[in-house]
Amino acid sequence: MKRNVAIIGGGQTYHAARRHDVDQGEMVNEAVRAALKDAQMTMDDIDAVFLGNMEFFEGTHLTDCWLAGSAGAYGKPGMKITTGGTVGATIIGAGMHHIAAGLFDRVLCIGFEKQEEGDTGAILSGVAHPLYGRSMAGAAVGYFAMMGTSYMAAWGAKEEHAAMVAVKARQNARKNQYAHLKLDITIEDALNSRMLAYPVRMLDMCPASNGACAVILGDEKTAKDRCKKPVWIRAMDTAHNEQFEIDWRNVTLTKPIFSTACAARMYKRLGVDDPKKYFDVFEIYEPATWAEMVWYEDLGLCGRGEGFKLMEEGATAIDGPIPVNPSGGVLSTNCIGASAMLRVWEAALQIRGDAGGHQVPNEVNRALATAYGGTNWTVMTALSSSTED
Amino acid sequence: MNQKNTDTEQICVPMTVDVPYRFAAGKYMARFLTELRDNGRFVGIKCPSCNRVQMPPRVVCAACHVKNDEWVELSSEGTMVGFTIMYLPLTDPTTGKPHEPPFVYGSVRLDGSDSTVEHMVNVEPDLDKVWVGMRMKVVLRDREERIGDLSDIIHFEPLPGQKRPQ
Ligand SMILES: [Zn+2]
Repeated sequence: MKRNVAIIGGGQTYHAARRHDVDQGEMVNEAVRAALKDAQMTMDDIDAVFLGNMEFFEGTHLTDCWLAGSAGAYGKPGMKITTGGTVGATIIGAGMHHIAAGLFDRVLCIGFEKQEEGDTGAILSGVAHPLYGRSMAGAAVGYFAMMGTSYMAAWGAKEEHAAMVAVKARQNARKNQYAHLKLDITIEDALNSRMLAYPVRMLDMCPASNGACAVILGDEKTAKDRCKKPVWIRAMDTAHNEQFEIDWRNVTLTKPIFSTACAARMYKRLGVDDPKKYFDVFEIYEPATWAEMVWYEDLGLCGRGEGFKLMEEGATAIDGPIPVNPSGGVLSTNCIGASAMLRVWEAALQIRGDAGGHQVPNEVNRALATAYGGTNWTVMTALSSSTED
Repeated sequence: MNQKNTDTEQICVPMTVDVPYRFAAGKYMARFLTELRDNGRFVGIKCPSCNRVQMPPRVVCAACHVKNDEWVELSSEGTMVGFTIMYLPLTDPTTGKPHEPPFVYGSVRLDGSDSTVEHMVNVEPDLDKVWVGMRMKVVLRDREERIGDLSDIIHFEPLPGQKRPQ
């Protein structure tokens, strides 16, 4: 990178299925105020504002125009970004690149979603090709269900393993004051929850949440002058899959796919041999239980077909050797436009030691966050307490 | 006068947006769809570099960045690589009407293809009757009913005489 970039502040709203008490601007403003307070800044200190959400999920376009006031963007440079489920991380990527390139010193990044206001299933069906597969589109649940049946057939995993992921996420969410689904559930509860699309049950899926997250990025000088605990963005990378090719079903595949290609590039840049040793915590984008176990494998935390064993061993518990999603993850809170930014922000909170009830007990110096969306693409962010590694 | 408490009243107004549009299928997809409509055949395209057969066909191989130009006829039979039994009344976005649950749909790799196609599966929603690895065949609408769209497929049907592997 031309210049080092740090996360110098951030904040989030509380998350819920209903937020009729606020409009989109009021909700976004909650997160912006929290981030400014955390960074001990005012809007006058901010050079540019980047904002994004899922296009049309709230029934409105051009949200950068609608929200100029409440986002603090009035009169400032900036842009709106819309890259699907990954958008929150893409916004941080755009902010980081502008600072690294020397164009700005302090950038406010905002991701939000007011899911209750639109028909997300209908809008998502627009991701499918109109003449090839759209008649079967309309819900992410079917996609993850096929991931589940394929995963079980390939490796011998059982529905119980998915239930373990469901329990881990919601029990961790109970420690996170901002999480949406804080559920005191057992494996039995997960297995007895309503079947949506075999093998995906109610408790295997993320909720539809409303909420916002804001993160303030700074250049090295600003970070060192003004921030007690800067968290450095050490690497960031993105990769797409090919349209129409749903590669996770072909478990014998050896060519790199979006997630493995992205991770490999990033690990190479950072000199990472063993990601489970290098990183102290992971915040990954898992809209369904099955996706979490596939992420373990794609990130190289275990071998192919061993993700469910890692879950079974409890290795990824909040107090385990490879903590994954101590925040409760997307399974507990999914305000889509903010979800990928929340992964980065939660990872930063862990490095700062400011995660509160869901702080992992081991020391955290390095963290990895992933994003996930569209017809399979990812943005990955590696964070560190130091600029030296 | 009936005074309402304006501090606590929340207003939330239901609205609908209707967005008509036209979609150009393009050269490759048009050939795929006319073959399906007129001849009841599936065609894919083979990459001259990696030999991967892609369906639906597209102008370049994403992996090799070379132009695809060898058309390949695919079988109407294939192998199920993933499926689900859907218990939600999934709305068909092309008609606005729900598919009545429970129903089975799956992802099938047609013989000769490296890609998959998703559609309804004509089996009872019963885990003893559907599994990953099951051999399937495509059932199409009659020629005069076909319009040149994947809805020309009625469903997949299991090839007869199969037993679930233990
Ligand atoms: Zn090729």
